[in-house]
Amino acid sequence: MVNYIELHAHSYYSLLDGTASPASLVKQAALLEMPALALTDHNNLYGAVAFQNAAKTAGIQPIFGAEMTLEDDTHLTLLVRNAKGWANLCTLITIAQHHAPKGQASLPLEPLTHHANGLICLTGCRQGAVSQAIQAGELQIAKHLVEQYQAWFGDEYVWVELQHHCLAGDADRLDALVSFAQRHKLNYVATNNVHYPEREQSRLQDVLVCIRNNIPLAEASQFLRPNSEYYLKSGTEMLLNFGDYPDALDNTLAVAAQCDFSIEYGLQELPQYPTPGGMNATEYLRHLCQTSPRFRHPERIEHELHIIENAGLSNYFLVVWDLVRFSREQGIRCQGRGSAANSVVAYLLGISPIDPIEHDLVFERFLSVERQVVPDIDLDFDAALREGVIQYIYERYGTDHAAMACTFITFRSRSAVRDVGKALGIPPVLIDTLASSVDYNSTTGEHIAEKPPQSLLWHQLFDLVEQIKGLPRHLSIHNGGMVMTGTPLTQRLPTEPAAMEGRVVVQWDKESLEDAGLVKIDILGLRMLSAVSQAADAVGADIDNLSFDDPEVFKMVSNADTVGVFQVESRAQMQMLPRFRPQSFQDLIIAISLIRPGPLQGDMVNPYIRRRLGEEPISYFHPILEPALKETLGVVLFQEQVIKVARDMAGFTAGQGELLRRALGKKDATAAIASFKEAFLQGAMAKGVPESIANSVFIKLLGFGSYSFPKSHAASFAVVVYQSAWLRKYHPAPFFAALLNNMPMGFYSPSTVVNDARRHGIKVLPVDINVSEADCTVVNRRTIRLGIHYVKSMGDRAAERLLMGRADTPFVSLEDFCRRARLSERQVEMLIQAGALDSFGERRDLLWQLGNLQLDERLDLDIDDTIELPDLSRIGKLNMEYDALGLSTEDHIMAILREHLAEQSILNSKDLDDIPTGSMIRCAGLVVIRQAPPTAKGFRFLTLEDEFGFINLIVRPQIYETYRRIIRSEQLLVVRGEVQRERSVVNVLAQRVQTIWNSH
Amino acid sequence: MTYLWMPALRIEMWVEAGLLQCFKWGERIHNVQWVALHWRIDVEWWEQRIWRHYYKLVTDTGLLVVVFYDLLTEAWYLQQLYD
Repeated sequence: MVNYIELHAHSYYSLLDGTASPASLVKQAALLEMPALALTDHNNLYGAVAFQNAAKTAGIQPIFGAEMTLEDDTHLTLLVRNAKGWANLCTLITIAQHHAPKGQASLPLEPLTHHANGLICLTGCRQGAVSQAIQAGELQIAKHLVEQYQAWFGDEYVWVELQHHCLAGDADRLDALVSFAQRHKLNYVATNNVHYPEREQSRLQDVLVCIRNNIPLAEASQFLRPNSEYYLKSGTEMLLNFGDYPDALDNTLAVAAQCDFSIEYGLQELPQYPTPGGMNATEYLRHLCQTSPRFRHPERIEHELHIIENAGLSNYFLVVWDLVRFSREQGIRCQGRGSAANSVVAYLLGISPIDPIEHDLVFERFLSVERQVVPDIDLDFDAALREGVIQYIYERYGTDHAAMACTFITFRSRSAVRDVGKALGIPPVLIDTLASSVDYNSTTGEHIAEKPPQSLLWHQLFDLVEQIKGLPRHLSIHNGGMVMTGTPLTQRLPTEPAAMEGRVVVQWDKESLEDAGLVKIDILGLRMLSAVSQAADAVGADIDNLSFDDPEVFKMVSNADTVGVFQVESRAQMQMLPRFRPQSFQDLIIAISLIRPGPLQGDMVNPYIRRRLGEEPISYFHPILEPALKETLGVVLFQEQVIKVARDMAGFTAGQGELLRRALGKKDATAAIASFKEAFLQGAMAKGVPESIANSVFIKLLGFGSYSFPKSHAASFAVVVYQSAWLRKYHPAPFFAALLNNMPMGFYSPSTVVNDARRHGIKVLPVDINVSEADCTVVNRRTIRLGIHYVKSMGDRAAERLLMGRADTPFVSLEDFCRRARLSERQVEMLIQAGALDSFGERRDLLWQLGNLQLDERLDLDIDDTIELPDLSRIGKLNMEYDALGLSTEDHIMAILREHLAEQSILNSKDLDDIPTGSMIRCAGLVVIRQAPPTAKGFRFLTLEDEFGFINLIVRPQIYETYRRIIRSEQLLVVRGEVQRERSVVNVLAQRVQTIWNSH
Repeated sequence: MTYLWMPALRIEMWVEAGLLQCFKWGERIHNVQWVALHWRIDVEWWEQRIWRHYYKLVTDTGLLVVVFYDLLTEAWYLQQLYD
């Protein structure tokens, strides 16, 4: 076997250049029996953690590095020797990323003079300065460059990099580089500048290059590599090109031997919160708890503080508390979500809105003696004001100590079809058709509506789309993950500017940060908190002190009258709520938890509902478990209950119970739980539980444990459910206005929200250029007015211009409006279509006048404007409003069509209330929701809306296949189907689906 | 004068241990004296893949030629003859 280690390899984190994950490269290297592998992505360490994880699993030495682009556009390959080198590489990458426009990192030479320690320098590919100088015959320049590198990196850490890809001139270049190295007594080493693990992926690499350059393959020759030799080669394959210099291959082992660095895991180092009065972090934390207006449960507090202190997390709590304190002071609504609600300390600090004792929550679900890792504390903030909190963090800790986590936007089915199709030169119209017929997350080939003819081109398209799906396309900002470190971030990991101005991201995503143990605090923006804040402020409601026991609120929720209510407005919730009929805050927690993928998959929903309705006896696996499972009538629904079951039946500590719960949730649970089973059985028998029962309970836990939902999370959310429901019940006008101002959120479009508001007696006034504000406003208790922003193309600047224009006096005519608001023709046109200028005349006339005004201005023409235009039809007006607003404040398409539909005995949503189950009917509506839950085994769920409400459709897989195109793409449907009624929940099981225009 | 065969001429090539020995063209054997240049291309797979290893070589008969080995069909071809 020929000795060879690849020291220059790009993964798919060389965005739109490399094709494979770090793990795939490691897998191939292991197959080739390489003892080590270097990852050298372009100017980044995005994949470093994943690379280390994969290498560790494969038993391969990971060598970290990067191919740096220098200021003169030449390349230099840097490898990490030790911890100092890692910190220096992070610093150099950070400098390169911040030094140039986004996506064009370039490193000035100067930082290399003092950040080269601990790094190995390979002189680079054919784009390296040394290679280029030698190619140009400028040997003195090459010599000078190498001397410079030696001065920076040290003689023994500079290696002349040799590559041979069977390109014309490669052999000569190789000879020249070796000759140069030998003459100056320099080390040299072979690399292959790997861009894909195996030759077959060179096509994908070509496609990625085309996507990067936005050019089809047929025109991309100057960007594409001339052959497919850039794969991970074995030593034997490399020897074919390095036969004259086998020592260049041997030297790869020598370079690998110079590298001894791995990323340390489990580091928890936050900036220190400055505690007052000489107190340490724990003392101050205790002080804050004791002085909290919510102070209670002193024993539990001491228990928690003890665990928090032992885990070294007191400072972490203070840092989080400081954010909550700041946001409250600034009037920014916020609350913790997730497992933090299990903590009394978090409650006393105001991080969580839930008293865990009152709700019987288990602290160890959050943090335990047995599992002292940094727990997640995710904070939800008023989305509209969240930026203030982020800026506070930057100010308080400095941008060199705080940055957002990054995230990678990956190719999904549709984007893959579009990008690959474009690269292959497929006409845009065909790509559009194809992309729109692909399910967003589907396996492409199986979901093409009408499969195109089988040809080489289509075969290539589907094949490449499959390969490209899931690959990172570009970098983005994580939706809230903030990383904070005590030492400067750049000593730990590189940062780079985000696309959003003023934002900086670290080069690791959430998973990498978690794996590396770096603390990430989720600063999440929750639009519903903005809506709740705005609606409550509008009516002066003390929304934080509601008593959660208003029967009218629960009645509304039980009737599934919940459009716009947080978490319980989905179709699935609306189907369940009338059966469940929640009557308390605890019921809301259960309702939120039931409609989740886990409980749905774990078949917890129906058993619970049946027990709730008395259709099935409430039973427990063993009487000893009644206290733990009573709240959910014997069904294991909450994660916290797994801990309680282990505690009550087997005497586990809460911490051990949490370890068991975590083991149950693992993909390969069998191995993970083996050690717990014996302890569980022994513990149960010690409590007098027969082994057979203990065994059966353990098996049931296996079945339910992985599907359970955290009660703490649901409890935090239930607060917002109640608040939003209360506002909707008692202050619908401000609530709907706030919802509309914070769209998009939830399940429904603004159009559906407006229609729902109207059905609830709220008058929604259209946009009016003389009355509307930028946002939607409350006119009185039963009336709201749409804001200017709702009109397409009327962004912040345009709205501001309009408002400025009418600041002194209202607009009196179209001409006056055009003159004073100085908006574009398109903007005025949209406003007219939206009805915002209805006070000046009929819309079609106004559009005609607008055209004349523009022509007068442009051409100085005297145009005859005495022409008489026919009145706009009702449907024409509706079309205009949908074009300009995406909704109508006055009409519903189904109302316009109703007479025609009624003639055909097509029913409306109200009619369905009186139709007995099993009846065959025809109904019609506008599609507002299409769902295909992965748990539904191919069933589709559609919600149709008409002027009276909603119609729920269930579509069996075979019916979906028959009417696939119509169901996917048509908006107005007539459906023939069977009515299914369960209590007050009505569904129509579709048998035939038509567009409304074809119904007869 | 340079001859360029389009399409290239099929030839027989003898190779030993990866080294080109000789080829037959025009009823005559040409011994390879020296490979001046070699390169590989793998292009245009989206239409009709071209995957070839080219050699520019000098023969004992005084020819400077470009031959290639088609990696798809595993056959040798004469592409170009330099005067």
